[in-house]
Amino acid sequence: MTQVESATDGQVRSAFSLIDCDVHNYPNSIDELMPYLSARWQAYVRQSGFSGPSGPTYPKGFAQAARRDAWPPSGLRPGGDPEFAREQLLDAWNIDLAVLNPLYGMTALHNLDFANALMRAVNEWTAQIWLESDPRWLGSIVVNASDPDRAAAEIKRAAIDPRFVQVLLLVRSSAPYGKRQFRPIFAAACEAGLPVGIHFGGSGNPITACGWPSYYIEDHTAMSQAFEAQLVSLVCEGVFCEYPELRVALIEGGFAWLPGLMWRLDKNFRGLRSEVPWLKKLPSEYILEHCRATSQPMEEPDDPQHLLQIIEMIGRDDFLMFATDYPHWDFDSPDRALPPQVGDSLRQGIMVDNAVSFYGFAPS
Amino acid sequence: MASRRVDLGAVDAFIDGQAHRVEIDGRGLVVVRRQDTFYVLRDICPHQGARLSDGSVTGTALECNPGAEIVLGREGEILSCPWHGWEYDLCTGRSLVEPETVRVRTYAVSVEAERVLVELD
Repeated sequence: MTQVESATDGQVRSAFSLIDCDVHNYPNSIDELMPYLSARWQAYVRQSGFSGPSGPTYPKGFAQAARRDAWPPSGLRPGGDPEFAREQLLDAWNIDLAVLNPLYGMTALHNLDFANALMRAVNEWTAQIWLESDPRWLGSIVVNASDPDRAAAEIKRAAIDPRFVQVLLLVRSSAPYGKRQFRPIFAAACEAGLPVGIHFGGSGNPITACGWPSYYIEDHTAMSQAFEAQLVSLVCEGVFCEYPELRVALIEGGFAWLPGLMWRLDKNFRGLRSEVPWLKKLPSEYILEHCRATSQPMEEPDDPQHLLQIIEMIGRDDFLMFATDYPHWDFDSPDRALPPQVGDSLRQGIMVDNAVSFYGFAPS
Repeated sequence: MASRRVDLGAVDAFIDGQAHRVEIDGRGLVVVRRQDTFYVLRDICPHQGARLSDGSVTGTALECNPGAEIVLGREGEILSCPWHGWEYDLCTGRSLVEPETVRVRTYAVSVEAERVLVELD
């Protein structure tokens, strides 16, 4: 990969052709993490019979929430075989860089010490099993959000490895991330120069403001409520004021809801500013300055022009970053996710340049 | 354009109730056998381009009222996309959700002398 001079704008841009901002890697079983646990925790796992954070609350219609063609011939689970994932995703689509987001729900464990041990184990496992397997994989540092101080220490430890490019939180949490208890996580991310990714899923509270729905279709669709709540919290609690360099990626939460949220929040700020006087500009300005969103699951209005209008209403044409969500069932195909009505410049931004800019990717 | 009949193989080469991929002159087809009946559709989901042959031949939950017992019906009549689970009627290629606007191309198929023959453009 090299740098090239753009013929149109005279700026140097990378020659990446495709970047995937959301891919999932999973340990096939707790056994795969055992080498990264201390003797004490290995014994604890054996004695307790712990096999991993508990299974899905909502059966998903697809085993392991995976594409039916993503089960490796090796017999490993989807997202559990680096070689197969490389072939089926990176090689098949000619992807230059792909950000791994392990969805290991250690934050749900009530035993903080055990959760912290698993946190570190997952990060070491990602580095050794996945990042070593192909230079196109990049890592996210998983953290135990239930213990922000230890999470911050883990960020500091793991971030020494430059192949880790973000800190990963899950959007469903015990409290909104703007609350002061979570500051150590954001402080550590900024100190390490890493953005924080907030991803679909999690534990702690229902996804909706009115309790637990019944079906996965509700869980999946209404997850955007949790993203809205987190975003409002981060802005109103002053996290972006306290950490002006903080960058946040909203991953797998959709984006069509953003214009309405920003309008509503800005309107309320005009009348309720005295509650949050640390905000020095409109809430939407903080959102647009500090945040980006991944494209998957792509909004699919009947009229594709409406998609372009939504992007225009968001107010930045560099806001979206492409993601497949491989190996999950709601995978977005790099050649089909964006409708043909998306022009070349906007497409290039979504598929490549916006992620390069946000994460600071440099050609190798 | 005149159609032509193409031999897809022996009847016994197709396992009952499974989706098989066949390529003819670069065109991918998905072939499904239901006992003595064969269905041939284009092997591309019109949504995002997945190979339907990687999907499942299944039934579908029949329409019912909220709270009523949900019954699996039409077993073996539905082809489900491996990626997003879109359901297609094997016989018509039409989507179960939007049959008027979303469909997979289907091809006429016949069996002669224990061979499966499809009509292609």
